Amino acid sequence: MAVAVVNDKSIERDVQRNAQRERATSSIAMVMTLVSFSMLFATLMLGYIAYRFTSEVWPPLGMQRASLGLPTISTVIILMSSLSYFLCEGGFSKGDHKSFKTYFWITLLLGIGFMVSQLFLWRDLKLSGIYVDTTVFASIIYAFTWVHAAHVIGGIVALLLLFPTLLGKREKLKSELWIKNVGQFWHFLGIVWVIIYFGIFVF
Amino acid sequence: MKNKVFTEPVIKNTESLGFFESFAPPEDISANGHLIDYLFNYTTSLNLFFFVLVCIGLFGFSYLYHQSRHPKPYYTYGNKKPHILIATIIGIAVFVGIDMNITRMSNNDFTGVFINWPDESKEDVVRVQVLGQQWAWNFRQPGADGIFNTQDDIVTLNDLRVPANKKVVFQILSKDVIHSLYFPNARRKTDAIPGRITRMWVEFTKPGTYDIACAEMCGTYHYRMAAKLTVYEEEEFNHYLAEAAQIHRAVNDPEDADIYWGWKWTSTSSAKKIGMNK
Amino acid sequence: MAFYEQHIHPKPKTFLSKYIFSYDHKVIGKQFLWYGIFFLFVGGLMALMIRWTLAYPGQPFPVIGKFLFPETGGAVPPDTYAMLFTMHGTIMIFYAITPILIGAFGNFCIPLMLGARDMAFPLLNMLSFNVAVISGALLLGSLFTPLGAAAGGWTSYPTLSTLIGSPGVGQTLWTLAIFVLGVSSTMGAVNYITTIITLRAPGMGYFDMPLTIWGLGLTAVLNAIFLPVLGAGCLLLIFDRVFGTTFFLAGAAATTGTGDPVLFQHVFWIFGHPEVYILILPAWGIVSDLLSFFARKPAFGAKATALAMTSITILSTLVYGHHMFTTQMSPLLTQTFMTLTMTISIPSAIFFTNWLGTIWKGSIRFHSPMLFSLGVVFVFGLGGLTGLYLGTVTTDLYLHDTYFVVGHFHYTMAASVLLGGFAATYFWMPKMFGTLMNEFWAKVHFWITMMGLNGVFFAMMLVGYGGMHRRIFNPFIYEFTQKLIPLNTFATWSAIVMGFAQIIFVINFVHAVFFKKEKASDNPWEVGTLEWTIPSPAPHYNFKEIPVVKCGPHELGNPNLSGSKDFQYQTEELA
Repeated sequence: MAVAVVNDKSIERDVQRNAQRERATSSIAMVMTLVSFSMLFATLMLGYIAYRFTSEVWPPLGMQRASLGLPTISTVIILMSSLSYFLCEGGFSKGDHKSFKTYFWITLLLGIGFMVSQLFLWRDLKLSGIYVDTTVFASIIYAFTWVHAAHVIGGIVALLLLFPTLLGKREKLKSELWIKNVGQFWHFLGIVWVIIYFGIFVF
Repeated sequence: MKNKVFTEPVIKNTESLGFFESFAPPEDISANGHLIDYLFNYTTSLNLFFFVLVCIGLFGFSYLYHQSRHPKPYYTYGNKKPHILIATIIGIAVFVGIDMNITRMSNNDFTGVFINWPDESKEDVVRVQVLGQQWAWNFRQPGADGIFNTQDDIVTLNDLRVPANKKVVFQILSKDVIHSLYFPNARRKTDAIPGRITRMWVEFTKPGTYDIACAEMCGTYHYRMAAKLTVYEEEEFNHYLAEAAQIHRAVNDPEDADIYWGWKWTSTSSAKKIGMNK
Repeated sequence: MAFYEQHIHPKPKTFLSKYIFSYDHKVIGKQFLWYGIFFLFVGGLMALMIRWTLAYPGQPFPVIGKFLFPETGGAVPPDTYAMLFTMHGTIMIFYAITPILIGAFGNFCIPLMLGARDMAFPLLNMLSFNVAVISGALLLGSLFTPLGAAAGGWTSYPTLSTLIGSPGVGQTLWTLAIFVLGVSSTMGAVNYITTIITLRAPGMGYFDMPLTIWGLGLTAVLNAIFLPVLGAGCLLLIFDRVFGTTFFLAGAAATTGTGDPVLFQHVFWIFGHPEVYILILPAWGIVSDLLSFFARKPAFGAKATALAMTSITILSTLVYGHHMFTTQMSPLLTQTFMTLTMTISIPSAIFFTNWLGTIWKGSIRFHSPMLFSLGVVFVFGLGGLTGLYLGTVTTDLYLHDTYFVVGHFHYTMAASVLLGGFAATYFWMPKMFGTLMNEFWAKVHFWITMMGLNGVFFAMMLVGYGGMHRRIFNPFIYEFTQKLIPLNTFATWSAIVMGFAQIIFVINFVHAVFFKKEKASDNPWEVGTLEWTIPSPAPHYNFKEIPVVKCGPHELGNPNLSGSKDFQYQTEELA
């Protein structure tokens, strides 16, 4: 380690290097976190695959498939929220505080909207006679949507943690890391939902 | 303090046994149990060889290179060619010498004997359906008609009677939780799983009465889930069979659905999921 | 080397911020240590009750039995017995070994050995401990529920662990507690991995890290990947129990459902086999380091040891099926798992060669940490080799679920890890609390523990070979177990001896922590890793200046060194 000569340039370089390293640290941690979350959902999917391929008829015991309407709406909502989060991130990195703010609120609303659509989905399932204890088919639908919904609530809480940035009370580097990490988690939930949608409702 | 709510029988063995007999496995009464015993002893001898090597190293070096005897340590990272070579050789020696060796033997026994299901169309086998429940074993033999779940089935509770020197094929199922049908004297066990039939075949060779136990934790009285295995000579067994068939035809009430827990015997299915209640 | 500016945080002032809600990794490490020791005591007491029952079923447990089981006059009843072995397993694995080896020494050693001021995420670290406390409270709470604690074995196989087999709320709390603990450990694991990657002191490459860090890091990787698998299994089990889903309920005479109980076993062991290595890897790392430190020569083939650990980590994820041979998987799967299981012995053999190579031609100082490390080599040798019987399918058909299995995994998981934990405690005591423990009593503790644990665990393997199966309250109702009574009694008395030996440790430990006046020097063992370059006990900011690493962790006995010092600090240029 060479002894740094103290002048403005070297301080500037130090600050930049420091920022780079903090970014690296945060992204390593986030990758590990997402690996953990993926393993959770992967195990659920593995269980689903095991049930799916060992049973001769699916859905079993003459059960109705769940109607595709509400899940499709949920899918559209969550994909739109992901998109709006992209725009929100873009707004922040361009320094466009207004578009950042606007798209943040849209994302949050769409997140809540997704939860509402899930509530309707559960009500709809109940009305169409798919109860949680009927067969493993119903159990899978409920359990997967529950676990995913719980994580979406976590995601909404994570969005709320961006408030200090929104109010301009967080330093720039920290804000950038927060927005990036929350975003990764939010997109991850979107991907998981798409897999659930195609894996369980469509396929 | 003698107001115990339960008493547990503790029968003290009065015979005095030698050291090795005191933990020897129960008497082998099956045609193929010796394969398992042989593999065990074979592995033990190889293990002993390597463990003695480790101990020689451990205790020998500890003695030789004690600070007082060997004040100047030999400075090495252990990354010289001979060092790497020795480590590799030992690694390969263990892997090939023990592991692949016993894997091969075990695999041969496994595919050649233990899952080499007797061909029921050609061989005369004894077929038994086993239903585990908390905390008892139900056994079912088909009776004279050779079909399961009929009125002349011999259904017994905790009492299995089979002939010697004949292959016995078990199909095992559980009523509630997972159990494991365990014949200590035949060195075998197979899980009884609700909703999935598992199979096992054993050839008993020595007439007598033996223990059957449950080896998988199945609740509070898991330890009491004991049954008796009686191995008869062939003639004796036929005699028993005839007698039992008569008794059971009288006892088996055709109205009582509980007795007819058996299922259709399919000789090809191995651990296949079955749809119950059909 | 990726590192960023680490500030010196102001010293916490209030009691609460200093000892309870502390961000300091050293304090959190100590918290985990006390947490683990507490549960070790609880679990150990349970072990003694289990052993007592196995030797003298129906007879009152001495001294405290009358207070614990007044209805039966002090004897352990069968239902309580099932709870005891379930909780013993759970507590020892998740609440004693994990907090001590991973929580305590992981937290304490990682920043100190890497030359960092704290973990990468101190807040996450604190939360990890707080969540672990919640989980411990849930588990202890389950002991006082109306139908008692979970009683399905630590594996909690459905359908015994569903409402069919265990209706009480205890099993639900157990499942929840394990889930919550999984969250805590995952948080810790993310923190460890990030810290190891980013906060190594400048100049420290991965192979300049002490092997302890390798062990802890690989453990963290396994934890981060496989704890969520168990978490998913626990969630589904909770859903089955609370909301009436039917994942693990199959259609059978007494049950309805279209699920599959064996699926849980798959999920459990996908996690469960790596868990074995999660527990043992830190101990391996610690032992590899300590053998080198006390043999006064560099670790033999340190790189090979590190790579062997890595390959074991990878292999451990592929072999879980050997726990399920008796469920009759397809023959192809059985053969595959058997063969894969066997490949684990290659890296294991390399370990042993390297351990023995390390003490070969050394100049061994038999201090207490060294004794315990050598003890690990001995018991792990026994434990590892006896695993072969369980890896080959035919012998496993006989030995599965017998006491042979119990003896085997106690040798590998309990004996090795316990001895490794003791070695670590004796070794890092001066850096943690600033005092050394009494050497004489440490050695007495070692020899009595060694005798006790070999007595109990070897006897367990022998009775297992004799055919006695696991988890039975009174083994003597069977004919074939009659002759095993003397061996069982012997095991019980060995366990009692081992239990009493721990009193020596506790007194020694408590005395050294709270009452000992004589302070230890900064580097009492004369070793060169980074934590010994700073005062004892470590100050709250660890390193005044972030050290710059110039050589490996095991630079001992270099003949080029002049003077009385026979070792080099990692901050010194290689002589």
